[in-house]
Amino acid sequence: MESRPLVVVGAGESGTAAAIEAARAGVQVTLIDENPIPTAMAGLNVPQFFGRRFVSTLGNKAQMLERMTAANDALAEADAAGVEVQLGTCVWGAFRNSDTSRVLEGPQLGLADHERSWLVKYDRLIVATGARDVGVGFAGWNLAGAMGANGAHSLIHHYQALASRRMVVLSTGNLGLRTAEMALDRGIEVAAVVDVSGSARGERALTAALRDKGVKLYTSHTVREAVGRDGEIESVVLVEIDDNCEPVGGTEKEIVADTVCLAIGLAPNVELPSLLGCDLAFDPELGGYVPVHDDWMRTSLEDVFVAGDVAGFHDGMVLDAEIARNQGRLAGVAAAKSLGAIDTPKAVARRNDLKATGTDSKPYDAYSHWRRWLRALLNVGGPDVFACPCEEVTRADLIDLRPPRFLNRQTERTSRPSLKALAKDAPVNPDQVKRLTRAGMGHCQGRLCREQVALLLADASGTDVADMPVMSYRPPVRPLPLRVMWPHDEPDQVRNEWAKWFSPTQQVLG
Amino acid sequence: MSVDRADVVVIGAGVSGLSSAYFLAKAGKDVLVVDKGIVGGEASGRNGGMVSERVDEPLLIPLAVEATELWTTLDEELGHPTEFTQEGRLQVAVTEAEMGDLLAERDVALRHGIDVALVEPPEIRDMIPGITERTLGGLFFANGGHANTQLTVQAYAWALQDLGGRLYQNTTVTGLRIVDGRVASVETTAGDFAAEFVIGAAGPQTGLLAELVGANVPVAPARVEILATAPVELRFPIALVGNGLYGHQAVRGNLIFGGGAHEWADVELTASPGKPNTPLIRNIARRLAELLPGMADVPVIRSWAGVVEQAPDYRPIIDILECPSNYVVVTASAHGFGISPATGKVVSELVLHGESSIDIRGLGLDRFSGVGRGWREERGWSPVPQRA
Repeated sequence: MESRPLVVVGAGESGTAAAIEAARAGVQVTLIDENPIPTAMAGLNVPQFFGRRFVSTLGNKAQMLERMTAANDALAEADAAGVEVQLGTCVWGAFRNSDTSRVLEGPQLGLADHERSWLVKYDRLIVATGARDVGVGFAGWNLAGAMGANGAHSLIHHYQALASRRMVVLSTGNLGLRTAEMALDRGIEVAAVVDVSGSARGERALTAALRDKGVKLYTSHTVREAVGRDGEIESVVLVEIDDNCEPVGGTEKEIVADTVCLAIGLAPNVELPSLLGCDLAFDPELGGYVPVHDDWMRTSLEDVFVAGDVAGFHDGMVLDAEIARNQGRLAGVAAAKSLGAIDTPKAVARRNDLKATGTDSKPYDAYSHWRRWLRALLNVGGPDVFACPCEEVTRADLIDLRPPRFLNRQTERTSRPSLKALAKDAPVNPDQVKRLTRAGMGHCQGRLCREQVALLLADASGTDVADMPVMSYRPPVRPLPLRVMWPHDEPDQVRNEWAKWFSPTQQVLG
Repeated sequence: MSVDRADVVVIGAGVSGLSSAYFLAKAGKDVLVVDKGIVGGEASGRNGGMVSERVDEPLLIPLAVEATELWTTLDEELGHPTEFTQEGRLQVAVTEAEMGDLLAERDVALRHGIDVALVEPPEIRDMIPGITERTLGGLFFANGGHANTQLTVQAYAWALQDLGGRLYQNTTVTGLRIVDGRVASVETTAGDFAAEFVIGAAGPQTGLLAELVGANVPVAPARVEILATAPVELRFPIALVGNGLYGHQAVRGNLIFGGGAHEWADVELTASPGKPNTPLIRNIARRLAELLPGMADVPVIRSWAGVVEQAPDYRPIIDILECPSNYVVVTASAHGFGISPATGKVVSELVLHGESSIDIRGLGLDRFSGVGRGWREERGWSPVPQRA
């Protein structure tokens, strides 16, 4: 099996900065990024919420690689610093020994390109996997054209492949305002920026600039539905809400748009830290569960570091990429120090230079914002809107713990205990609910719905969302065709010793 | 701490414990179930969902055959859906040696009057579209099938509660108080529960639990792995065994297949064991792609692991201890899901009448009289040492 001294996952701002920093300290660095991603996945909103609003050239891997490289000067810098850059390569698994799993040769990652998969060992790992769009549902959010701010950003910046003419942006805040600004810059019309709050959040200058360009801001509003034929969004119906998030009668307005961009918020992509067993802690101001880390960006595992949005995202980071880059540099220094490439005084001096770790100025509690959006959408849209679009589980299905639609529900005796009964002994466990209702069990494995599902379950059961366990992550954290997952490097011994189901005395093969 | 009481306290909210609890509640007993975690949080909710007549283990055939009959009406019985699908079970051979095993199993099945038929490769390809051309033959069991594991274990739990049974999730057993050769009460983090009968159905913790009452119940925990693909158009409702894997296509369309080597593990009485996957899932994916080459482009979206327990002879243990004389041991050696309806029936009969209407000879503890406490080490069924 191949082995690397330092693997950095994610070639965004923080990951690239980490790779450069460590490489300059003399470490042999491998920087991995899954972009460009296979189009089949992109169409399923995995890993990003693209809402099928991308042009067909996304399928041209060579062209996309060229565009990605052109859009990211830091990649060239990394290359010049001697970093081994692997694009179009996803990390789908992370494995290490534990009490009940002891036969691995050491910590290792499962990697794959579009054709095959392989394993690589590492001495140190920096996870810089960013954040993902948080989904909240309204009628029609499963149509093509409902997408996320992060997805839009990626399509614009990585790929120059966003296929939208007229967009409605949901939520102000720097994330929403910046998304609107970016769309305008690309010649996309922004028909409205909508927020459930009574006033616009985020930098005033951004709001003013958008107003100057004629963009209409709808505060104290929410979306009733997105409408369209042939599975495509054609218009969006907004409605005003009062202080209790209840709709105000007679205030509906239909706005023509082919895209609804959800910019409610971002949640850290903690899949790999979770798989590795890093301690996670819930911080509503940083987007939910984040890896616990020290002031060297080191997680609870001494060989694993985090940097950038995955370590916690707040709205202030949208306007200041230096926060993520500095976290990356710090993680790079720390990894180099722990590998013995630089001595401690030098590392400490560098850390003092970098100063900011970026989590000290959080503008607001993201979860309260999401909860307010969800409450408004629930009041306006009712219980029959999909909470989990992949598996078509509605909010009502979820909180009534209904079995999946494809089963005959008529056999029930109707005495089904409520969520509250389930919550009697301990906080509701989203994994338990998931297996009963299928919410979060589709292609995207809850990437789009897990915050919404957690909030709905918390509110319906009277649980504090901070007390709910995290919905589990399991490998592969990217959908991987059987033929790609297929281990071409499998030794003959595996076939010779393959156990029939519980035939005697087999141990796992290395 | 409060002291409450029930006719029967069941330790373990898995399929075996909850099925036992359900049948006892149905017979009018006041039943209380405790579990340190959630309903079906361990192996019961994370296995392959297979239902079979266990021709591979002839001593189990009476129990397993009874179970397949109970399964046919289990949704109505429990009042909650289990997703049980009884379209048969097909075991295919891809090597001559496996073909020999199939022929031997067929003979056993026929001797026991089980509905079984040998099928030729062309027929196999009709039954399982997309299956490999490499099969040499198959054995089709008409009464086999599969069900959804979490829905099933929850169905038992809800059915129990529908009958007035109590369920304490996230409640850990801390001790068993013995008075005059009987378990007088079960001590838990939610208080003490006095009981006439106590049922230890604690899966991998069954042995540790029995140690609390001084009994030697030899079971060795092991971690096993399984994977699921994205849902695809429904091609085969038949449970499928072959190429070193077992599994099925769920009603939703996902392929759910497991197999391969297991890893012996140690568990603690009061904690849930870790259940990580390993790169073994790649080897499982390969075998699934070999078995169903027509579906090799289907993406794997998830994998999981479970910790099961095995007795030295791979068979379940269903017995009442001599001392304490009101303690029932139920453990299924990693085959508890499929036989669970019959397990519950047997346990309820043991508690109510002291004997079972189903033949469970060979499943008692007396068969381990020669098995000492060091048996796992002797057999090599202990975990490998942790690497530095």
